[in-house]
Amino acid sequence: MDGTPSGSSQTTGLLGYFGFLRKSLWLVTDGSLLYYAWMTALTAIALVGAHAWAVQVTHGMITTNMTDSVSWGLYIANFTFCVGLAAGGVMMVIPAYLYHDEEMHHVVIFGEAVAIAAIVMSTLFVVVDLGRPDRFWHLIPFIGRFNWPISMLTWDVIVLNGYLVINLHIVGYLLYMQYLGRRPNPLWYVPFVYLSILWAISIHTVTAFLYCGLGGRPFWNTALLAPRFLASAFVSGPAFIIIVMRLVRVLGGYTASPKPVRLLIQIIRVSMSINLLMLASELFTIFYTGGEHAAAGQYLFFGSHGHYGLVPWIWTSVALNLVGTALFFLPAALERGNVRIAACVLCIVGIWIEKGMGLIIPGFIPSTLHQIVEYTPSLTEWKVSAGTFAFGLLVLTVTVKLITNVLTGKLHEGVPLTKPEAVETA
Amino acid sequence: MVMSTADRVSWRLCMLMGLLPVLMIVTVGMRRAHEEREDAQSVGPTLAELKAVGRSADPVEEIRRAKQTRRFPVEIRRPTGPPVIELTEPDPLGRMGRVACTTCHSVRPPNLSNQQPSDLDEFHAGMPFEHGRLVCYSCHNPGNADTLRLADGRAVEYPQVMTLCGQCHGPQARDYRRYSHGGVNGYWDLTRGGRVRANCIDCHDPHVPRFPKMIPTFKPKERFLVTTRDDHTPGLRFGGGTGHE
Amino acid sequence: MNETPSFPPQGSGSPVLSRRTAVKGACATLGLAAFGAAISPLTKLTEDISAEEFLQQHYQELSAKDKQKVFARLEAETKEEYGAEVTIRDDRPIPGTKFVYAINLSLCNGNGKCVEACHRENNHNRQTNESYIRILEMPIGTMDMGKGNITYSHAVPAEGKFYLPVQCQQCDNPPCVHACPVQATWKEDDGIVVVDYNWCIGCRYCEAACPYHARRFNWQKPEVPADEINPDQSYLSNRIRPQGVVEKCTYCLHRTRRGRLPACLEACPTGARVFGNILDPESEIRWLFENKRVLILKEHLGTEPSFFYFFDE
Repeated sequence: MDGTPSGSSQTTGLLGYFGFLRKSLWLVTDGSLLYYAWMTALTAIALVGAHAWAVQVTHGMITTNMTDSVSWGLYIANFTFCVGLAAGGVMMVIPAYLYHDEEMHHVVIFGEAVAIAAIVMSTLFVVVDLGRPDRFWHLIPFIGRFNWPISMLTWDVIVLNGYLVINLHIVGYLLYMQYLGRRPNPLWYVPFVYLSILWAISIHTVTAFLYCGLGGRPFWNTALLAPRFLASAFVSGPAFIIIVMRLVRVLGGYTASPKPVRLLIQIIRVSMSINLLMLASELFTIFYTGGEHAAAGQYLFFGSHGHYGLVPWIWTSVALNLVGTALFFLPAALERGNVRIAACVLCIVGIWIEKGMGLIIPGFIPSTLHQIVEYTPSLTEWKVSAGTFAFGLLVLTVTVKLITNVLTGKLHEGVPLTKPEAVETA
Repeated sequence: MVMSTADRVSWRLCMLMGLLPVLMIVTVGMRRAHEEREDAQSVGPTLAELKAVGRSADPVEEIRRAKQTRRFPVEIRRPTGPPVIELTEPDPLGRMGRVACTTCHSVRPPNLSNQQPSDLDEFHAGMPFEHGRLVCYSCHNPGNADTLRLADGRAVEYPQVMTLCGQCHGPQARDYRRYSHGGVNGYWDLTRGGRVRANCIDCHDPHVPRFPKMIPTFKPKERFLVTTRDDHTPGLRFGGGTGHE
Repeated sequence: MNETPSFPPQGSGSPVLSRRTAVKGACATLGLAAFGAAISPLTKLTEDISAEEFLQQHYQELSAKDKQKVFARLEAETKEEYGAEVTIRDDRPIPGTKFVYAINLSLCNGNGKCVEACHRENNHNRQTNESYIRILEMPIGTMDMGKGNITYSHAVPAEGKFYLPVQCQQCDNPPCVHACPVQATWKEDDGIVVVDYNWCIGCRYCEAACPYHARRFNWQKPEVPADEINPDQSYLSNRIRPQGVVEKCTYCLHRTRRGRLPACLEACPTGARVFGNILDPESEIRWLFENKRVLILKEHLGTEPSFFYFFDE
């Protein structure tokens, strides 16, 4: 491998970019023992998931526990949750760019990194849910048949891919400019940032429209679904970013100002309160009116006709969300410590349940023939989901490591990479 | 803003790469539009095809034509005559033959006071009978045992038994005439084929006309659908109830 | 920053390839091999799916010649995989027809012969006894399907119950057609909503959208013994569907578009089913509309079904 001799003049253009990529590749395969252990574990889990998916594609989706009554399960539940994670990044972008919060401006790139990983996971969850992934090309406009604008899934394909491209561009451009030590040209990224604000709202709104437009699914057919999705996304996304920021500080050697995370926590406080209010609104509307419309809610919260499968899930979710919110409201949450991390974890798990077993699955129970067919994910589904999450975390780790090293100046044009022992990168 | 050479090259490359998908889309789109125009009749038969088989592409014309075309017959299953028993062995006088209703019922006069099978003490005594408040001679013809009779006394041959049923069961007869009652096999489009229809007595035994109970022998297997409280027989179940591979 | 020799770091051994690089390369190769092994079950799929099948266009893009080739290929595949000689035709709508179906709920006794006839006629998977029809045993006095039961197997009719068969309603405002992201399902001129089984990507959004439990997904490859296969097949209806695609009732278009009655109607012993062309003023189905009180399921959803129910009294 020929290397750039230390201290040489800038090689710009495409050659320089390949140099950046080469250095990045070297960097992400370098680290402490903990880093190697983490990456190996994620790879192993991802491989387990890949194998389980290959078996699923070959033998059919009978290896899952989905049925004609509950025809979407863990995969689409996780897809929904990951889209929410991706949308959460916008809660850093808005303060940074619309309110010119300087400290937030320095760390907003981490939010965009989370968005990239989350979108990758969302797309993967949709792909593993397809009965015929070999026919994926049927979705490509002008080559296949793209049923836009009538099918909400086509809108989802557009907004998710668009959001991925926007964030890849912004992160890629800003990182590369910082790597080169040059001032980024606002024309090249600011319009995209403003676009990403609108786009982030759109990805989760469109995902909600997927569900709430279906008249045959009364549990989903509520105008409140899109606002609820956004409210919970603006909790789970920032909560996840807070955890990432903590890891970046503790393991990555990059300490940001404490103000951005404090702002995020304040945003979470408001968002979660709105989410809980919307939950109360849903509960009232379901149970006060009653009747057939309440069948799914009845099954979810209290069980019905001798079936109680989802009751422990939803009440756990409610408890986690309530305790998490309480923790966020403690003054201690605004200080660096473990209260905020505990609150983040509780809320992330609570919202994961709420969106998955608490929303997608009850949309199918009772079935459209009003029969109760229960659903618990099969081992294949857990494996594939774990593998997809692991892959997303791999993407995130790689991106965050690159960002951290660029921000600390260790990944820089003309600066040779030092031996890993001298660096605290994880 | 002054751009370095490298930036200019990168910028031009980006523009080119951006133009490529646009070009692709335009080309493919144009090609498709052209194909669509050429192949406009790919859905459904072409005008030429239809004309070749003598059918118009115009729906109104099609229906009018269908009415002029010969219609295939609708066959209604019927009994060929009164119930008859073919003897398998000669009778005590050495005669072979068949036993019809009139074999016995022409020998002695009818007893109109016999109303139910339970009134009888010889033949037909144990026959089940549940047909409302009817009596034997509501339908059977005392004048000719090989026929039936209407309420006004007119005889009805066995092949025309449905006239007798329809005399009282008007709504069912009307529905039957209009195909909302009674089994049918064959063609909905009588210009392409005929039909075979069930007779009243194919399903309704005139003496116990209630449609018999049936056992549903074929049930789709519903994975994870556990039998509900209403069903007293064990339901059909397959697959586990929990997440096992 | 302490200045060690430049990137890549040089070890004491070879000047070009350091130990670190070699280890990284070995691990990368190992990782790739492991990935290959992990997804190796997919190679079986590449044997099952031919290049022509992979590249096949949407049904509405196929010319008459293309269709002949596709049907011949499918017939050959059926022979190879199922051991049966079948004929796959392209049944197009008869001009001037719009099919409507109705069920007399006073006559239906829930015997399920229609369910079985559908199973046989449409070459359904024998492992699951699949059928496009489900019958709800309902208590008299309600139309709430939540009080209904589809798993009954006792003698019918039971006291105090009526029976409600449900199948695809061939809606005039079909949510499934709107949902499909690749236009694999569409409504044809005679009202039947069809699926191109070789275009469907198996996302099951249509199954989520359908309010009538009309759509089925092939969770596995269907198993049908050769001697039970109905060889009279049509591309859009009862040919044996592949694994991983959605399917649905097609009003037996391989029969009805040739003028015949659907299999479920012929099997019904009580004559509760009525089928015909609503555009023909002298059809039986038209008489029904003019003389019986018909109702539809889930009318509030605005799906405008082509499937109706009525009572005699």
